[in-house]
Amino acid sequence: MVGVKMAAAAGASIRERQTVALKRMLNFNVPHVKNSTGEPVWKVLIYDRFGQDIISPLLSVKELRDMGITLHLLLHSDRDPIPDVPAVYFVMPTEENIDRMCQDLRNQLYESYYLNFISAISRSKLEDIANAALAASAVTQVAKVFDQYLNFITLEDDMFVLCNQNKELVSYRAINRPDITDTEMETVMDTIVDSLFCFFVTLGAVPIIRCSRGTAAEMVAVKLDKKLRENLRDARNSLFTGDTLGAGQFSFQRPLLVLVDRNIDLATPLHHTWTYQALVHDVLDFHLNRVNLEESLGVENSPAGARPKRKNKKSYDLTPVDKFWQKHKGSPFPEVAESVQQELESYRAQEDEVKRLKSIMGLEGEDEGAISMLSDNTAKLTSAVSSLPELLEKKRLIDLHTNVATAVLEHIKARKLDVYFEYEEKIMSKTTLDKSLLDIISDPDAGTPEDKMRLFLIYYISAQQAPSEADLEQYKKALIDAGCNLNPLQYIKQWKAFAKMASAPASYGNTTTKPMGLLSRVMNTGSQFVMEGVKNLVLKQQNLPVTRILDNLMEMKSNPETDDYRYFDPKMLRGNDSSVPRNKNPFQEAIVFVVGGGNYIEYQNLVDYIKGKQGKHILYGCSELFNATQFIKQLSQLGQK
Amino acid sequence: MAVDITLLFRASVKTVKTRNKALGVAVGGGVDGSRDELFRRSPRPKGDFSSRAREVISHIGKLRDFLLEHRKDYINAYSHVMSEYGRMTDTERDQIDQDAQTFMRTCSEAIQQLRTQAHKEMPSQQVKEHRSVVLDFIEDYLKRVCKLYSEQRAIRVKRVVDKKRLSKLEPEPHTKTRESMSSEKVSQNPSQDSEEKPVTEEYPEKVPAESQPELGTWGDGKGDDELSPEEIQMFEQENQRLIGEMNSLFDEVRQIEGRVVEISRLQEIFTEKVLQQEAEIDSIHQLVVGATENIKEGNEDIREVRTFGPPRPPQCGTKSGWPDHLAGAQPPGLPT
Repeated sequence: MVGVKMAAAAGASIRERQTVALKRMLNFNVPHVKNSTGEPVWKVLIYDRFGQDIISPLLSVKELRDMGITLHLLLHSDRDPIPDVPAVYFVMPTEENIDRMCQDLRNQLYESYYLNFISAISRSKLEDIANAALAASAVTQVAKVFDQYLNFITLEDDMFVLCNQNKELVSYRAINRPDITDTEMETVMDTIVDSLFCFFVTLGAVPIIRCSRGTAAEMVAVKLDKKLRENLRDARNSLFTGDTLGAGQFSFQRPLLVLVDRNIDLATPLHHTWTYQALVHDVLDFHLNRVNLEESLGVENSPAGARPKRKNKKSYDLTPVDKFWQKHKGSPFPEVAESVQQELESYRAQEDEVKRLKSIMGLEGEDEGAISMLSDNTAKLTSAVSSLPELLEKKRLIDLHTNVATAVLEHIKARKLDVYFEYEEKIMSKTTLDKSLLDIISDPDAGTPEDKMRLFLIYYISAQQAPSEADLEQYKKALIDAGCNLNPLQYIKQWKAFAKMASAPASYGNTTTKPMGLLSRVMNTGSQFVMEGVKNLVLKQQNLPVTRILDNLMEMKSNPETDDYRYFDPKMLRGNDSSVPRNKNPFQEAIVFVVGGGNYIEYQNLVDYIKGKQGKHILYGCSELFNATQFIKQLSQLGQK
Repeated sequence: MAVDITLLFRASVKTVKTRNKALGVAVGGGVDGSRDELFRRSPRPKGDFSSRAREVISHIGKLRDFLLEHRKDYINAYSHVMSEYGRMTDTERDQIDQDAQTFMRTCSEAIQQLRTQAHKEMPSQQVKEHRSVVLDFIEDYLKRVCKLYSEQRAIRVKRVVDKKRLSKLEPEPHTKTRESMSSEKVSQNPSQDSEEKPVTEEYPEKVPAESQPELGTWGDGKGDDELSPEEIQMFEQENQRLIGEMNSLFDEVRQIEGRVVEISRLQEIFTEKVLQQEAEIDSIHQLVVGATENIKEGNEDIREVRTFGPPRPPQCGTKSGWPDHLAGAQPPGLPT
């Protein structure tokens, strides 16, 4: 039964799989069954920061409570002994964590211990724990020990990142800095491969791997192939056989893993964007599906008086239950504003309905005493009451999105992000520019220095020929005048030189953006999202380089860009990397993984691409998730050397 | 998918033990260790909080099992097909309800006690929080079990109320056959309704008034089969009134009968007389017709006399112009 259900969502939702795995772990490693009259069991959850990052996008505090967790604590915090309660640990098997766990055992903090390691623990460390358990005479208290293989963070149904805590270790900068040693590179690669391995164990499938040559992605591919191969050969301990395979058994096709390096496309991470989720990530403080806003009170109707505006810090979780978010996270921003308005209106209509019902009830209840009439009214009342929580939830979501969208809109207006977006799209698609780049850079009103830097870098990256020295000097001067730091440019110059040697620079396809007039419909309906002066731009579907590569590989199209990609199949007996793909059929499922970092723009582009194709699924992953600000910082650091 | 390495862990424990023995390290290995463990268990405060919490949980569990066990009987007894074994009398049901209520009350009191005690003791912040969440869980469990009970109860109350409403419309209470005839009752009611409309209008008002106190106090053990004395009295009074009405109606009908008989007799007489009159009128009519003829003839004779003079007796055998019948006759009134 469960297998059939998983086949129906075959390979689609990594989020569901990880959540199910977590819930099973929390249920003392036994599959969780809902029972309405079951006895309560209680436990405490101990995690480290890695565990916290993995759990927080997937399970809310309420859901943890529903699973019987009374307290959830960080491993390296002061914890008091709580008698008679089992403890579930969810930590990475690092030295410090193991030490702390042994300390817990010695201090007899809890009654029984269920140890779960996020990625596989080594034999020696296991013996360390055994030692401590013996010393504390607590061996029987250690009830279960599990390797969970959950070392990745799932943010969406089809998107994951490797980690959040130690992202400097696997950042773009770490991989691309010129002074990296071989051993350091090995460590980084091992970290990445470990997470990818956990990912495929949870997915329950062995992929076919394709990667470009001569990049960090190739190193990852080689190592991953080796690791998968070793595991498959070890028949006793293989993680990919039997009931661990799950839905993989039912889909006859294996998924395709495309490993790309960030360096094939540096323009997209710098790009100004126009879709809701990407904008929130770019402009606001957003990570692990939580957005932190600083609200200044009294923006619209400030009280008359000299009181300064207080800033409220608010944070919102954007979760899968939030239907509005799920529907509109990929929509262009004006559409989002309109939809919020529509939702608000429909909510008000429903609220009026409930109020009307209330008044009818009030009148009728006085006249009649007969029970049949009463039960009729009771039924109406019950339905009204049961629809109330739904209405309240709707209101909460509307408030949430109103706040978030307003914050985003403020940024857009202040920095003229719509202008940047349009201009960059034109640059990237090589259509003629109506305004000169110099004008925009010198314009003091439009955008922060960072925005200007981004624009210029995109221009530089996508230019077929480098601008002449004189032009370059002019631009540099303008940029410095605007307050920019020129270090990223240094790095990009080097990169461009290198990239030119390696292969032709990526082209971004032909596309146009059509401004739909300055006065949008939103303004006409008198909504609170006054988009005055903001262009109502419409995105036309274009394929970013990553999407194009995926398209070629997935549909087995021949293209000079991807023809010489390497081909790995861990299941093949003879492990050699032939460039000749054995599989001639197009793939139904693909996983795109960007080594060196990714962002929501690429993710959204892939989602849009696959929407048109029936029955195909794509998962997007990256070693870290950064927005343009963070990326510029890394480029700047790289350019300093 | 997660991999269970518990066995691996146990193996590691053995490895470490043997290694320690080999190295001569006397840290908690072997028999002493297990005895240490046992000793460590008992002096450790078991925490009467958790043992009492578990007691409460087991109590609630017993209540839940009890309710589930008898649930079928509780609800099923309302079907018309009754077997001896499945039937539960109302007293039994009331008993169940009462027991369940007292049980629930004691459980929630126990939870409250635990809560206050947990607050009084000064454990660490974490332990306090843990305990309060545990108590929340127990309360939630109790609520879920109470839901079982309240669902059953709601069904029962609804059925009783419906039944009371229907049963009030029958004129005579049938104590024994009521339940089996309740299906027939429904078909009877529409016909009865039309006859006893003025009567039934009193009842809807009485039903809510009566059912309210009855819903509250199930303790008097009354079923629908028997009627309370007030009801009996009420029925008797009504019976009396009905009989009186019937009698008066009957008298009126008699009177009307007598009058109708009289009227028919008078009508007979009337008819006779009319027939007599008809005969007389006929004879009068004949006479009048004859008289009219005579007068007519007389008038003609007079006219003739006037025009032709008196009639002469016939001399020379010539005929006079007088008609024969007048020839010999003396004209009346003329002197001879």
